Amino acid sequence: MSEIVIDKVSKIFGDGGAKPFVAIDGVDLRVEDREFISVVGPSGCGKTTLMRMVAGLETVSRGEIRVAGKPVTGPGPDRAVVFQQFALFPWKTVRENIVFGMRSRGASREERDEAVTYYLRLMKMEGTADKYPHQLSGGMQQRVAIARSYATDPGVLLMDEPFGALDAQTRTIMQEELVRVSKGNPRTVMFITHSVEEAVYLADRVVVMGRNPGHIREVIDVASTRQAERWSEEPIDDVMEKPSFTHLRGQVWRLLREQMGADV
Amino acid sequence: MMPTVAGAVPAKRNAWRPRVRRSVVTGVATIVALLVAWWLSTSVLGLVGPARFPSPEAFVAALQRIWTQGYAGGTLIEHVVQSVRLVFVGFLTAVAVGVPLGFLMGYDRRIEAFVNPVFLVLRPIPPLAWIPLAIVWFSLGDASKVFVIFVSAFVPSVINTYTGVRNVRKHLIEAALVHGASRGRVIREVYLPDASPMIFTGLRLSLQASWTTLVAAELVGAFLGLGRALQTAYRDVNTPMILVAMVAIAISGALTTILLARLEKRVIRWRAEA
Ligand SMILES: Nc1ncnc2c1ncn2[C@@H]1O[C@H](COP(=O)(O)OP(=O)(O)OP(=O)(O)O)[C@@H](O)[C@H]1O
Ligand SMILES: [Mg+2]
Repeated sequence: MSEIVIDKVSKIFGDGGAKPFVAIDGVDLRVEDREFISVVGPSGCGKTTLMRMVAGLETVSRGEIRVAGKPVTGPGPDRAVVFQQFALFPWKTVRENIVFGMRSRGASREERDEAVTYYLRLMKMEGTADKYPHQLSGGMQQRVAIARSYATDPGVLLMDEPFGALDAQTRTIMQEELVRVSKGNPRTVMFITHSVEEAVYLADRVVVMGRNPGHIREVIDVASTRQAERWSEEPIDDVMEKPSFTHLRGQVWRLLREQMGADV
Repeated sequence: MMPTVAGAVPAKRNAWRPRVRRSVVTGVATIVALLVAWWLSTSVLGLVGPARFPSPEAFVAALQRIWTQGYAGGTLIEHVVQSVRLVFVGFLTAVAVGVPLGFLMGYDRRIEAFVNPVFLVLRPIPPLAWIPLAIVWFSLGDASKVFVIFVSAFVPSVINTYTGVRNVRKHLIEAALVHGASRGRVIREVYLPDASPMIFTGLRLSLQASWTTLVAAELVGAFLGLGRALQTAYRDVNTPMILVAMVAIAISGALTTILLARLEKRVIRWRAEA
């Protein structure tokens, strides 16, 4: 059971210094085990900061974050991160990158080979196992990064605009692929994005954040609509034209617009 | 058979091959042209006096002499072996101490704070300024040369390794940590490979410094070695022999540099060929 509990968390950069800056103020959020949440919000509202605190890459100034009941004190393989700039190891082949996290938990040779074969097939990247990242396209690199995080077998997956650097076409393919991968291997996911479509399409719930200082404006439920309207049985383009989808998208958009307008 | 007409496709596929061959051809042509110019200006036209610059014939005679009879206490091979040996010992000791020290300084702020002041004092001293002290401490034997080589090769190794480690990309360290890497794995699998281009830059500079310092130290005083041959030829006003020694130094230095470049290429296979 890998639920994330964010309990009255604040983040103050330069706390105690001459110019403290409140990036996150009193955020309360509970992400259930195997729930997929998207986080949207205007630039600078603290999405990355919040995610980095869950990852243990940033300390918490006030409050507490617990994952699977244990307070977060630092980074660990139970909370793998997919970074916007992929962050693959350039000196490792695709195979070595994918199994990086598996080696941390002492997976056997057979287990690792199996995972490489499995993920490369799933991502339609057969035959690239021995290539280096610089020999791959951006979309392929990000698929490897996602495979690396999944293969680590974390309870929680944290993704910070993982498709932000991709072109629109590749992005759509990746979104469908992510749905497929997470269906076969559901995890607790926190997914940051700037795309409202992407947020609504992927998530069980969409968290809309506001800024000055960073806070949660509203949490919108998507899962019940998705189930009722059977989104997952149709291709992404068709889903995005359904009234149920456009309605939710409009709702998120209005909230977001409100946040952006707040200080323009 | 490949058509010689504008067959764009096969020509493109092998595009780099003719280019490599062409650059080799150009290089060889330049050297040959220089040799001919040398021969013409000295032996044939006598534009340069033999005391200033020897003719190719005099050069070959000097080479023959030092190769068979020996000169300045040894044959050419003996001088080369002596110099290369000292460079290797001094360079390797410097690297063996310098790279780990630079690594620790880049990795740990406390060690950096501890070691940096020492560097601030020692760094401005030109390595050659250590030669008199080295001779006083170790006399004219091998130890004094190894010592000055060590001093001169040490600094580039430390500084570049330190810089390389300081600039290890933070997001790659984070990527390793969030995928469960232990501290040892982060060092071996992120810090070392990401810093290795800079470390090799340091090694290259260290090697160059080693040769410079060695020749200088041997010029000041030695029993054997290329610098000693150069010094003796200078005292004998033997210009052909000066040239032979210089060429021998150039070739030895180039060969060790090539060896290092080979090693670098092996270690950094993953890099995108630019
Ligand atoms: N290390 C830091 N030191 C000081 N301030 C920081 C630091 N990191 C982030 N901030 C500030 O905290 C605020 C939130 O930043 P964060 O990167 O979390 O925003 P974001 O929502 O991810 O924005 P974007 O959508 O542009 O990625 C910003 O105002 C930023 O300038
Ligand atoms: Mg961000």
